[in-house]
Amino acid sequence: MSNKEIILSIRDLYVNFYTYAGVVKAINGVNLDIYKGEVFGLVGETGCGKSVTSRAITRLIPPPGRIEKGEILYKRNSEYVDLLKLPEDEIRKIRGDEISYIFQDPTSSLDPLYTSGYQIAETMVVHDRAEWNEAWKKAVELLKETLIPDPESRVKNYPHEMSGGMRQRIVISIALSNDPKLLIADEPTTNVDVTVQAELMDLLRELQRKKGTTILLITHHMGLIAEMTDRVGVMYAGNLVEIAPVDEIFAEPLHPYTKGLLAAVPNPLQKIDKLVPIKGSVPNLIYPPSGCRFHPRCPFAMPICKEKRPPRIEIKPGHYVECWLYAEEVKKKGES
Amino acid sequence: MAGMGRYLVRRAITFIPTVFGVLFITFTIAFLMPANPARVWAGGQKASPEVVQRIRRMYHLDEPFWSQFYYFTKAILTNSIYSPVTHNLVSEEFMRRIPITLNLAIMAMFMIVVMGIPMGIIAALKKDTAIDNAVRVLALIGYSTPSFWIAFIFMWVFYNELGWMTLVGLPRPSQMITGIYLVDALLLGEWKTFIDINRRLLLPAFILAFISVGGLARYVRNTMLDVLSADFILFAQAKGLPPFRLWRHALKNSLIPVITVVFFMFGGLMSGAIITETVFGIPGLGVLYYSAIANLDIPVIVLSTLYAGLIIVVISLIVDILYALIDPRVRL
Repeated sequence: MSNKEIILSIRDLYVNFYTYAGVVKAINGVNLDIYKGEVFGLVGETGCGKSVTSRAITRLIPPPGRIEKGEILYKRNSEYVDLLKLPEDEIRKIRGDEISYIFQDPTSSLDPLYTSGYQIAETMVVHDRAEWNEAWKKAVELLKETLIPDPESRVKNYPHEMSGGMRQRIVISIALSNDPKLLIADEPTTNVDVTVQAELMDLLRELQRKKGTTILLITHHMGLIAEMTDRVGVMYAGNLVEIAPVDEIFAEPLHPYTKGLLAAVPNPLQKIDKLVPIKGSVPNLIYPPSGCRFHPRCPFAMPICKEKRPPRIEIKPGHYVECWLYAEEVKKKGES
Repeated sequence: MAGMGRYLVRRAITFIPTVFGVLFITFTIAFLMPANPARVWAGGQKASPEVVQRIRRMYHLDEPFWSQFYYFTKAILTNSIYSPVTHNLVSEEFMRRIPITLNLAIMAMFMIVVMGIPMGIIAALKKDTAIDNAVRVLALIGYSTPSFWIAFIFMWVFYNELGWMTLVGLPRPSQMITGIYLVDALLLGEWKTFIDINRRLLLPAFILAFISVGGLARYVRNTMLDVLSADFILFAQAKGLPPFRLWRHALKNSLIPVITVVFFMFGGLMSGAIITETVFGIPGLGVLYYSAIANLDIPVIVLSTLYAGLIIVVISLIVDILYALIDPRVRL
């Protein structure tokens, strides 16, 4: 991480969903830089906006969702372009080619009516990476790379003829087919067997090491975070509350939510005697709490937390937190 | 597709008991009807008792159920069922009328598909807009309006006022090739006949289409919306597929449920349209049913039901085969 080249920079991103019940303010001003070649982990509870953030990167937000404002700067040919301002046809050329996705559920990610080979080859053909004949051959190669036994016959199989783990390997093959610069893996192992999980993660890490792909890994599995990532972002209710190198997140979490999260799940780096759940429940984002969205559940809440949204504070180089507790500290330091 | 041959054989074996079952049930219902058909056939109230008695014996109506059923089944197999009312060979009657109904059914189905499927797709794309609501209202009107009422309105407009349509006779091409008049006239290049057939059948076909088109459009719309919200469409988008490829994935996945509905609609049309044919005086199967019911023509009633049953059996066979061709998950 000596040469920190930013490949993707999300700035002040807001995403709303216009439902019958009201406007869900799902993403509320997220700022995030992802460096080239790193594995960035995004953690948080279900519904905190991890997936929405990752999909907003290539504007994959179907109605009733809408990206309200923000910038997503992506380094393309040594020049930053705002993905949110690109014409539809240009963003389409980036999807699946420079930025590709692995979704959570391999069973529903694949079209049941086409063979796995077709679906892999199609991804190369639409980006003019290969003609059909060649793309089919490359599909076999990809299946070999993703360690699918008997790839020559597997390309002719339909998704229903494969196991869940195998299907996710097909999805991974699709995602890798055009050598993406950024791979967004959205809970890639949540819907497969535990034994397959480890294999798939090994596979991703191996591929990442070989090709130097930047990975944005979304998960709520702390073990995966510890094992796979270089840096971690913690999301809560549409806000990115803390960003830190992976060791620091586990060793000295700063945000009360991060602390609560680590106490609530098994910590892979140290032994915890008892898991403590975070009190309260996830807020309704149609009527999000004022100020800091975590304040109703925060054991350290102060009057200001209810009134004003906390600023982002860099506590140490590369360790950011959005919390008034540290703003006070900063102020005190300034005074003394 | 390796299983196709075996599947067809298996299907053929179940075919016979199904048809026989339909025959048995319809015959039983006809037998249980609290009516005295022999008397109706003999001429009603004024019929002399001797004639009624003779007819009863002729049609085995004085014999027990099983015996009657035996004679009836035997007569079907030897193709010797005559209508006691018209004295025509019933199979010939059917063969004369099927092309007419088929013609009408094909025209109506063509209109339903050509209008209904695009309407459904547009309604899905423009969900919850004025267009979507218009399709919804059209479906409702089609379902709920009596077809004879629309028929009269249309006749008044297109026959009385505009004079575009004809209401008597049915022109036929000079030769039969496919048995469908419209197609034969086209193949033979007999343009005048072709236009005349259209002038006679376009209106009733449109009415049949009008009843169903909104329903199909709504069905296509809902199917499309289901498919478009599926994960694999979002994933296909994430792969960077251009719109026409996304559409291919979406349409192919929507095809299976839509095929079922379209084919069963066609089956319904093939069984004859009683009201529309009667109102327009088209000598198809619908009119035959109507007069058979009015005259207690039991052999025709039973055979008509059997025919409708056969159509359904054949249609579901075709639908099953199409499923297997489109969907790899379906094994025959």
